[in-house]
Amino acid sequence: MLAVIVRRLAALPFVLLSVTFLTFIVGYFAPGDPVLTMMGNSRDPQTYANLKHLYGLDLPWYNQYLNYLGGLLHGNLGLSYRYAQRPVNDLLGSGVRVSLQLGLTALIVSLLIGIPVGAFAALRQNSVSDRAMMVPMLALYAVPSFVLIPVLQWLNYRAYSRGWPALPAAGWGSWQHWVMPVIVLAAAGLGFISRMTRANVLEVMKQDYVRTARGKGLPEFAVRFRHILRNALLPVVTVVGPSIAFLVTGAFVVEQLFSIPGIGFLSVQAVQQRDYPVIQGTTVILAVAVVFMNLVTDILYTFLDPRVRVSG
Amino acid sequence: MAANVSALADRLDADSLDGLTTSEAMGPWRLFWRRFRTNKIAVVGLVVLILLILTAIFGPSLIATNPNKLDYAAINAKPSAVHPFGTDNLGRDTLARLVYGLRVSLTVAAYVTVLDLLLGVPLGLAAGYFGGKVDIAVTRVGDVLFAFPGLLLAILVAAIFGQAMTDRFGGIGRLMLVVGALSLVSWPMMARLVRSQTLTIRERDFITAANAIGAGNTTIVRRHVFPQLLGLIVTTSTLGIAAVIVNEAVLSLLGLGIQPPDPSLGKMITDAIPYLEMNGLQVLIPSATLVIIVLAVSFVGDGLRDAFDPGSIS
Repeated sequence: MLAVIVRRLAALPFVLLSVTFLTFIVGYFAPGDPVLTMMGNSRDPQTYANLKHLYGLDLPWYNQYLNYLGGLLHGNLGLSYRYAQRPVNDLLGSGVRVSLQLGLTALIVSLLIGIPVGAFAALRQNSVSDRAMMVPMLALYAVPSFVLIPVLQWLNYRAYSRGWPALPAAGWGSWQHWVMPVIVLAAAGLGFISRMTRANVLEVMKQDYVRTARGKGLPEFAVRFRHILRNALLPVVTVVGPSIAFLVTGAFVVEQLFSIPGIGFLSVQAVQQRDYPVIQGTTVILAVAVVFMNLVTDILYTFLDPRVRVSG
Repeated sequence: MAANVSALADRLDADSLDGLTTSEAMGPWRLFWRRFRTNKIAVVGLVVLILLILTAIFGPSLIATNPNKLDYAAINAKPSAVHPFGTDNLGRDTLARLVYGLRVSLTVAAYVTVLDLLLGVPLGLAAGYFGGKVDIAVTRVGDVLFAFPGLLLAILVAAIFGQAMTDRFGGIGRLMLVVGALSLVSWPMMARLVRSQTLTIRERDFITAANAIGAGNTTIVRRHVFPQLLGLIVTTSTLGIAAVIVNEAVLSLLGLGIQPPDPSLGKMITDAIPYLEMNGLQVLIPSATLVIIVLAVSFVGDGLRDAFDPGSIS
């Protein structure tokens, strides 16, 4: 197992370097001169040179990249082009917290609902209750979040207009603001996790050791919980990685349409203001976070399933 | 000896006549179509898809209304004879915008699919067939692009180059940027799938046989490997179209795709959401269109997979 972890860790620097380099180079080739934009109508050469120097833009590209990388190692994402030299960290800091809370809540909700639903459906394969649960799950997986959001908002509005208790349509602050975004974010992951759980349980149910367990007269709940579920849930750990990809793309849409001041919302704002360092910062934070999450998932899986250690 | 051989040939003939007469007589494409036809949902999906494509191609010339024309006399109007699907918050005709938006979505999907085929297929094939350095290079590039979750890389590229492309090349430049950004996140998947399939095909006996009789790499790839990949490629690119259409809508929704006033399905949804309470139809129509395209494409993709590979039907 140690060898697997060491090998994964050894590949990490390459991926991290490439991800940061790609993000840097896209910003480096960004069209237009950010310093001229910053100076507005002023064309003072001294100010221009000073600003250029302040942002390190007077250096050759490899120095710029090394500076950028050095900053990243200290958790420093550089300076904003838009807000008079404010660090990107300041601008994104609160957004990271909001997005992280929202994303994790959605992930937990989709696991808490998706696993039981998938397992229950598999135990009653091809029955009416199986279909009744899995068809909506397929629909949740297929319907894009930006279609689900207006549907929820419309339902919410109908409730509101009849004087029933309703949720705020958008915004951020109280717990009521969480409900709809979490539903939408959890939906895609929910469809994915429940379908995967169902497939796994069906696969495990065919195994010899399940037949043996039944054959030796174990009570049904022991067979189900100890032999079927515990084995079927192992691979579900691996879906946490792909689910995070859903959550990241979902976060942009959900934060935008619900006006939630998360990292996605802030970087779309930065797009409109052409504040490239903020967009780069978002990209680096999210990509590095996902690289680490995938690493943790892989290690966890090796730890949970001894068979992977042999082949891995 | 000669008698033996002809007896064997007779037996083989008899065998094939027993089980496979119809298949042998029909040729692969007719057989393929026959298998595809048995999947009713896939056929319905195909019909819907063809209708949508025809609408996107011919619709704009059939509809006289300008999709960007403002009609202040009819703002957020309900469906009427003049505006069959009503109008949006600026009084623009929803039917006209829908048809033009459909054209944008399908155009982007078509270009991204072509790029996937031009980049993902050859690179995946080369990586899987030749292995070694080529494989390492292609796999590494793919790994790096995969490290960016979801649409993140497409968002970054579209955000940074969007304005300049629009300034320099107008709407077409923007469209091409969207295509490029989206294919950046989709070709690695095609390459990865083609690579792993090629790896298994390479080990098969008929490749060894072709090698043994002295066939060159070009011949082997063209005659023996590629035909085996066709099913995977067609299925993957069909299912990929659904993802591209959703992704294009997400970019438009974030303000990174097609620029206003030109319509796109994603933009129509976002523009209409603030007026949901007054005019829910304006959200419903583009949303339903999107869901219908995605479902139709998925059904066709599933049908193609089953028709290409009868063994996969469970």
